[in-house]
Amino acid sequence: MRFAKSIAVALVLIIVAGTLFAAGAKEPQATKTQNRDTIVVAMGADARSLDPHETNDQPSARIMKQIYSTLMHQTEDLQIEKGLVTDYRVVSDTVYEFTLPSGVMFHNGETLTSRDVKFTFDRMREKNAPAGFLMAALDRVEVIDDLNFRMVLEFPFGPFLTHLAHTAMSIVNEKAVTAGGADYGRSPVGTGPFKFVEWRAGDSITLERFDDYYRGPAQASTIRFRFIPEDANRAIAIETGEADIVFDVGPNDFANLEALPSVITSQITGLTTFYMGFNAAKAPFDDIRVRRAINLALDVDGATEAAFLGFATPADGPLPPSVLYANQDLDGYGYDPAEARRLLAEAGYADGFTTSIWTNNNPVRVMYSEIFQEQLRQVGIEVSIEIMEFAPYLDRTALGEHDMFMLGWVTVTGDADYGLYSLFHSTQFGDAGNRTFWGNAEVDRLLDVGKTNPDPAQREQAYMRAQEIITEQAPWVFLANRDELNATRNYVEGFIPHAAGHHNLYRVYNR
Amino acid sequence: MHKYIFRRILMLIPVMLGVSFVVFTIMFFTPGDPARIMLGERAPADEVALLRTQMGLDDPFLVRYVNFVVNAVRGDLGRSLVTRRSVAAELFSRFPATMQLAAAAVLVSVAMGIPIGIISATKQYSVFDGFSMALALVGVSMPNFWQGMMMILLFSIAIGILPSSGYGTFWHLIMPAVTIGTSSAAIITRMTRSSMLEVVRQDYIRTARAKGLSESVVINRHALKNALIPIVTVIGLQFGYLLGGAVLTETIFAWPGVGRFMVDAIRQKDFPVVQGGVLLLALTFSLVNLIVDIMYAYIDPRIKAQYK
Repeated sequence: MRFAKSIAVALVLIIVAGTLFAAGAKEPQATKTQNRDTIVVAMGADARSLDPHETNDQPSARIMKQIYSTLMHQTEDLQIEKGLVTDYRVVSDTVYEFTLPSGVMFHNGETLTSRDVKFTFDRMREKNAPAGFLMAALDRVEVIDDLNFRMVLEFPFGPFLTHLAHTAMSIVNEKAVTAGGADYGRSPVGTGPFKFVEWRAGDSITLERFDDYYRGPAQASTIRFRFIPEDANRAIAIETGEADIVFDVGPNDFANLEALPSVITSQITGLTTFYMGFNAAKAPFDDIRVRRAINLALDVDGATEAAFLGFATPADGPLPPSVLYANQDLDGYGYDPAEARRLLAEAGYADGFTTSIWTNNNPVRVMYSEIFQEQLRQVGIEVSIEIMEFAPYLDRTALGEHDMFMLGWVTVTGDADYGLYSLFHSTQFGDAGNRTFWGNAEVDRLLDVGKTNPDPAQREQAYMRAQEIITEQAPWVFLANRDELNATRNYVEGFIPHAAGHHNLYRVYNR
Repeated sequence: MHKYIFRRILMLIPVMLGVSFVVFTIMFFTPGDPARIMLGERAPADEVALLRTQMGLDDPFLVRYVNFVVNAVRGDLGRSLVTRRSVAAELFSRFPATMQLAAAAVLVSVAMGIPIGIISATKQYSVFDGFSMALALVGVSMPNFWQGMMMILLFSIAIGILPSSGYGTFWHLIMPAVTIGTSSAAIITRMTRSSMLEVVRQDYIRTARAKGLSESVVINRHALKNALIPIVTVIGLQFGYLLGGAVLTETIFAWPGVGRFMVDAIRQKDFPVVQGGVLLLALTFSLVNLIVDIMYAYIDPRIKAQYK
């Protein structure tokens, strides 16, 4: 027995010694006590790269937002204002001139000049950046002098200034990019309020306050982004105080967190629209009466409540209300199965028909499909549901093989052009975004006006009318706009959520 | 012995070739175009076509496979389609976390499993034996993710002494290691008990007792040493399995290991990472097996004699 005992004792000692050695013994980090200077942010996924020309995903954008600056800035209520520039002039439909402030420093000690701006946009094109399509209108950047430059467009582009505010348009420094080489995405240098310190793959990214930030130093000295994939665990992290801010609280956890006095929750309408599209190139969906009938046959509000547990706003039109130029006066369709039956009979489908809903395996979309299957049966339409993998799903809907399909769209720029053009313009059929294959000459014209006219008043007018026609013509069943759910500890000050999820942490601090 | 080890290492070559062929074939037939994934949904078709040519994706299957193997032998597993970093760098930045968790979990399971198994065997049908076997059954049956969540509820929320998730300190390691360790411990306990029970019925144990040796010498020097072979096998298998990533446990505790990374890669259709990851895991699993086989020789001199 002595041998067994000594084995046990030795093994326990090895465990303790080995793990202490391997993990590096540090202070117990049980429940974190409030640390005034460090803000811990929990989010669901690791960044892919911190090079704005290598990726266009949200987790990366959330971190780049703190490291870099953009020429224009989008406020939390989605208004566009001057960012890095002190002044800009719209010289003509296709020429914009900008002035930079003097003495703006990059984190590597370099001073910002017009040449960095030119380098940034040239590199975006050369590298075929994933978000490069946002600058498709840009022909070239001309350096006038150190602080003045000109941006010349190939064609007039209404949302140009809005797109300059997107995180993917962050200004980089040539010297830093060259020094970083292939791994620049792991050693980013910007002019933003926080500089990069450390990236522990899959675990965390740490940023530190940049004292020479051109708008004055940020409030917090350190920000640590932690990646916690499970919704429930992110909620636990804020409950125990291990995190000060949590992005994307799961709907199941939101009510629990709301009840805690130590946590402040926030629920805002986001920029994500969920919809069910019709294939308008195919019978019977080429008939407007059928499309409208299906809109009327569905209790969208009830289905949305079930699918999102109340954390979404039912949609009355194609754009979330927070988007610039969203038409707030649309009434949607309401639930009227009797009128739906009448319209179907008028269209020659008094006995209904057989069709299918395609969706990928996203649980919310599947739930909508199942609810709609039953509701459409009530008006005589027999629906089968086909659930498939996302990649073949996108490929096959782009080819127009479907009848009805479930999809979503995020208007990341917060501008109506992004939320309407790809989805409803007749030049965008298939892969480009319009999987309904529905087109309308008047809507095409209005979307072109909105896209190419820099005058906000004329853009607004065009978009308002376009949304009326789209809603009336019903190429979609308009489902819901998802709410963005975030939470902070009650001692966190200055956190204002951004609808696109790119929250600015410049003013945030622990009280 | 050296010849044997050398032969075993040589045998890794066909194993790795086989694994690489299978994983490459599966990824080849999986829908999704890597060039399209890299450039995004909105990239024009001609740019995607150009990148396909540059990446050699238009080459025939065998040409692509041979290129993949040749590059892999040079240590170049390609670049991740998602992060654009070298796959080898991505995997190796996560491998220490996986290694740490696997080692800690095995230590926990051995420290619990072997002593309990020995006592159970020497006190067969005692209260301790019944209790520990029941506990082992619970340990084997209890799903890791459930146990992990219960531990978080208890130690992070109710008592508040351990961090609920994350990586970096000894305190972060405790809950994931114990979660995985207890289920492995249950397996090791049962194996130790049954192996010991078989050995203590052998003639040489009776002889040892007849010589008048004390019970502890009989058990520790004669019985345990002979019972160790299957136990070591099980420990090796458990360790190899854990290196493959305890995906659920890693996810629950936000542990940045290879397993979670590979599951994400599969979801994002990051082909080079999946291929490289499977190769790395196959290699480590084979090496762990080799080490176990070598350990047999040191535990049992009769096996060593066979190697010559």
